[in-house]
Amino acid sequence: MRYFLLETKMTAKKQKTDVLQGTLALMILKTLDVLGPLHGYGIARRIEQISGDLLAVNQGTLYPVLLKLEQEGAIASEWGASENNRRARFYGLTRAGRKQLQVETQDWEQTAAIIGRFFAAKAEDLS
Amino acid sequence: MRFLRRFFTRLVNSAARRTNAERFREEMEQHIAFETAENLHAGLSPAEARRQAILKFGARESIEQDYRDERGLLGIETLLRDAHYSLRMLRKSPGFTLIAVLTLALGIGANTAVFSLLYALAFRNLPVPHPQQLVRFGAQSGDEAFAGLSLPMFEELAGRQKVFSSAFAWSGDAVLNVEMDGAMSRADVWAVSGNFQTELGAVPEIGRLIVPDDVDLHAPAATQVAVLDYNYWQRRCGGAAGVLGKTIKIEGIPFTVIGVSRRGFGGISAEAPPEITVPLNAEPLILGETDIQKYLQRPDARWLEAAGRLRAEATLQRARAQLDALWPSIREALLPAGKPSAERAHFLALHLKMESGARGASALRRRFTQPLYFLLGLSGLVLLVACVNLASLTLARAASRGHEMGVRIALGASRARLVRQMLTEAVMLSLAGMVGGLAFAFWGSRMLSNLIIKEVYIVPAEVRVTPDLRILGFATAAAVITGILFGLAPAWRSTREDPASLLQAQSRVHGSETARLSKGLIVAQVALSFVLVAGAGFFIRTLEKLRAVDPGFRVTGMVDARLSARPNGYKNIDWVSYYRQLLEQVSGEPGVVSAALVHMQPGGPHEWTEEARLKDGKAPATRVDFDMVMPGAFCVMGIPLLSGRDFTWQDDAHTPHVAIVSRSFAQQLIPGKEPIGQIIEIPSQPKWQSVEIVGIAADATLYDLRQHAPPTVYVTPLQYGDDWAGWAEVLIQTDMPASAMTGRLRQIVAFLGREYVSSVGTLSDGMERSLLRERVTAMLSAFFGGLALLLAAIGLYGLMAYSVTQRTREIGIRMALGARREPVRWLILRETLSLAAAGIAIGLPCALAASRLLASLLYGVSTRDPLTLVVPCGILIGVAAVAGWQPARRATRVDPMVALRVE
Repeated sequence: MRYFLLETKMTAKKQKTDVLQGTLALMILKTLDVLGPLHGYGIARRIEQISGDLLAVNQGTLYPVLLKLEQEGAIASEWGASENNRRARFYGLTRAGRKQLQVETQDWEQTAAIIGRFFAAKAEDLS
Repeated sequence: MRFLRRFFTRLVNSAARRTNAERFREEMEQHIAFETAENLHAGLSPAEARRQAILKFGARESIEQDYRDERGLLGIETLLRDAHYSLRMLRKSPGFTLIAVLTLALGIGANTAVFSLLYALAFRNLPVPHPQQLVRFGAQSGDEAFAGLSLPMFEELAGRQKVFSSAFAWSGDAVLNVEMDGAMSRADVWAVSGNFQTELGAVPEIGRLIVPDDVDLHAPAATQVAVLDYNYWQRRCGGAAGVLGKTIKIEGIPFTVIGVSRRGFGGISAEAPPEITVPLNAEPLILGETDIQKYLQRPDARWLEAAGRLRAEATLQRARAQLDALWPSIREALLPAGKPSAERAHFLALHLKMESGARGASALRRRFTQPLYFLLGLSGLVLLVACVNLASLTLARAASRGHEMGVRIALGASRARLVRQMLTEAVMLSLAGMVGGLAFAFWGSRMLSNLIIKEVYIVPAEVRVTPDLRILGFATAAAVITGILFGLAPAWRSTREDPASLLQAQSRVHGSETARLSKGLIVAQVALSFVLVAGAGFFIRTLEKLRAVDPGFRVTGMVDARLSARPNGYKNIDWVSYYRQLLEQVSGEPGVVSAALVHMQPGGPHEWTEEARLKDGKAPATRVDFDMVMPGAFCVMGIPLLSGRDFTWQDDAHTPHVAIVSRSFAQQLIPGKEPIGQIIEIPSQPKWQSVEIVGIAADATLYDLRQHAPPTVYVTPLQYGDDWAGWAEVLIQTDMPASAMTGRLRQIVAFLGREYVSSVGTLSDGMERSLLRERVTAMLSAFFGGLALLLAAIGLYGLMAYSVTQRTREIGIRMALGARREPVRWLILRETLSLAAAGIAIGLPCALAASRLLASLLYGVSTRDPLTLVVPCGILIGVAAVAGWQPARRATRVDPMVALRVE
């Protein structure tokens, strides 16, 4: 019985992470775009504030995504001093990142528009 | 904006530079510190603040894993990690690791050793520039081994051809007396044309080499200079530079040392480099001739070997065509006048033999290429057995780790990761095996090459054997692939299963498929081992049968001493009185029964055969063995004379030529008639045009034991002049060992002043040497058979041990229900024996088939010999019983209480 539970918990976790990865990247880029260079904790807090409780658990999942974005060249990082003179790693958008953000924003808006039309069409179709 | 620009310029500081794990941990700590500060600010206690911060961060391990997976260089890091883990796992089961590595090392090493030797012998090119341009050519009679040219032949061919950019000639393989600084020794002396050394890329270590100016083939005198071989120089002169300008005496003729060739130069010989090189036109001087030109210009004496370098656009075929076109007219022009018709016909029948010289001249190649190929097949089989062994062991081990896999899968490891880790383990085993195999191969090929060289060469020779990376890589790849295949398949299957069931399956027999595969492998292994052991049996029996052949002459208690001429030793010699004196003194020694002189070496390589026939007969000539013996030899050798008479000291150069023939000769060539008094002739030899038979000797197999009683013609050398009379062998019938005779013999010969004793041995040693191929084959196949047996035993043991572990619960139940020890032990043993029996059942027909393939190598043993096929059965059954004994004992020791509780 124990093993069975363990397994379902694992599969559930896997699904959440998958969905979150793609959107997380976009959220990070947008945050950096609006607020300028930030350290990891700052990004996490910002996203938490805006997204409600989506990131209530597992703030740490931000970091693999940050690394991926950095390796793709969308953001760049540097050590710096934070507000209370703590040493932290600051991330900022690169030009490529900015372009990626533009492209992805357009995609999202397009997707949202199409889905919106679908929902609107349904009501009329019935007649 | 500025801040951002700073970011851009600092792109250099990319994340990949620092270790990401370190970086992640730092960032994580920072993040948690921030959150803790926030919590503190919100009013939580420090401990609670930190705890909440950590909780909010999330599962660190899992995130760290994801973090790591994002990295691009995941290949190398995980490989290293897997390697580390594999090492730990392998260290945990040292028994398995040791067995696997040893198995692989032996299998790979044996293969590599044999192939290295084969490659060096049959495929390696000479270490000269552009070896593929070299072409050897010469005139050959029939299919005799030696194809030589006379100097006029060479000059005509070289002058008129258009395919070679250069041509050179040499007269080699002469082991002569050399005196240096007062010490006498023997060395391999080659006489070469002026461009020999330069064409073959020789470079002087000190001094200079022989150049065309040194060898003017049309001058009345010869330049008496000599170049030494590097190793010879090191051995004899200690590598002293002062050797330049020194005078050495070759057969008493002085030569000045002008240089030493660089290490590694072997001329055109693949194994035995010329130790001393002199100009071609100095050879007559060494042989005691005064008229150099007369010696050199003989049109029909084929004493030279020749080779040429192909031009860039020429091929071997074109060269052959062109020289074949030139040859007939050259041959006609050089036909010596006034020769009897038989000789003329023989001369005009000479044809050109041409072959690539890229691999140089080798005395070993012809003899040992085929046996080595066979050996390679043998060792390939052994490697197969080793692979099967490894596969079954890995299979058993993979299956027994089901529990471990279940846990890892439950903790979130991906299937691919697990499979990759097992792969790494297999590769590491193979690499370890390869390292051991290299060392073994190096030693093995050295030992093997020394064995075969010692029996053929009397001068220092070496087969350049270095482990060939290509075959080693291939063998390793094969081992790795097999190991992976069989380690992979069950690993993949077990990872696909539900982790829950894996974690529960403690004592259940895991996967009937796996067990079947394992058993199948063991059966295959036993079958292969059977074939190898049976093969070894065949060869050992062949050797025994050959040893038991009655050679027809006395072999034991015979000492054999070779005589060599001192410089000018044969000048003005009265052969008869000299030899009679010598024999008298030797026979007079205490312990000596009798002594005689012969010109042959029983058991040694015998290449003197001639075509002979009755002089006035209509029958065509038959190939017969030709030997030279002196009066009394038949008696000393224990070959009875069946009729007629022996040679006497009165048969000399002035009396009619006589011969004694063997009974087989008389039966084959003169059937029905009285042989004594018949005249035979040897068309190709001017000296033996008309020889009268005066005696019949009993049949004797003097050389190749497989050839029973070949027809033989014996003549006595005293009838044919100085050329043939000297350089004899003394056969001494005595019970004393050779070492005891040597001293006294040397004294006697030295006292007579004309010759010296160059080597002493026994006839029985000589006959043993003639069985070299059979001995080596028997020895090696026994070794490989033993190896295969060992591997089969290990495989059986491993499988049964594992099986017992798996069936602990079953055995526990049996014993709890009242089974006694004996039936339990028998249960295991029976399974072992039935596996062995299945292997034998498959192996027997395979062995029969294999023996048919090998029929040409066997002697005196039929391919269906029952004894040779039954003994391996018994051996394998015995081995299986031994292998299964320990697991059977362990089965009986199972405590039912413990076994049933492990659940």
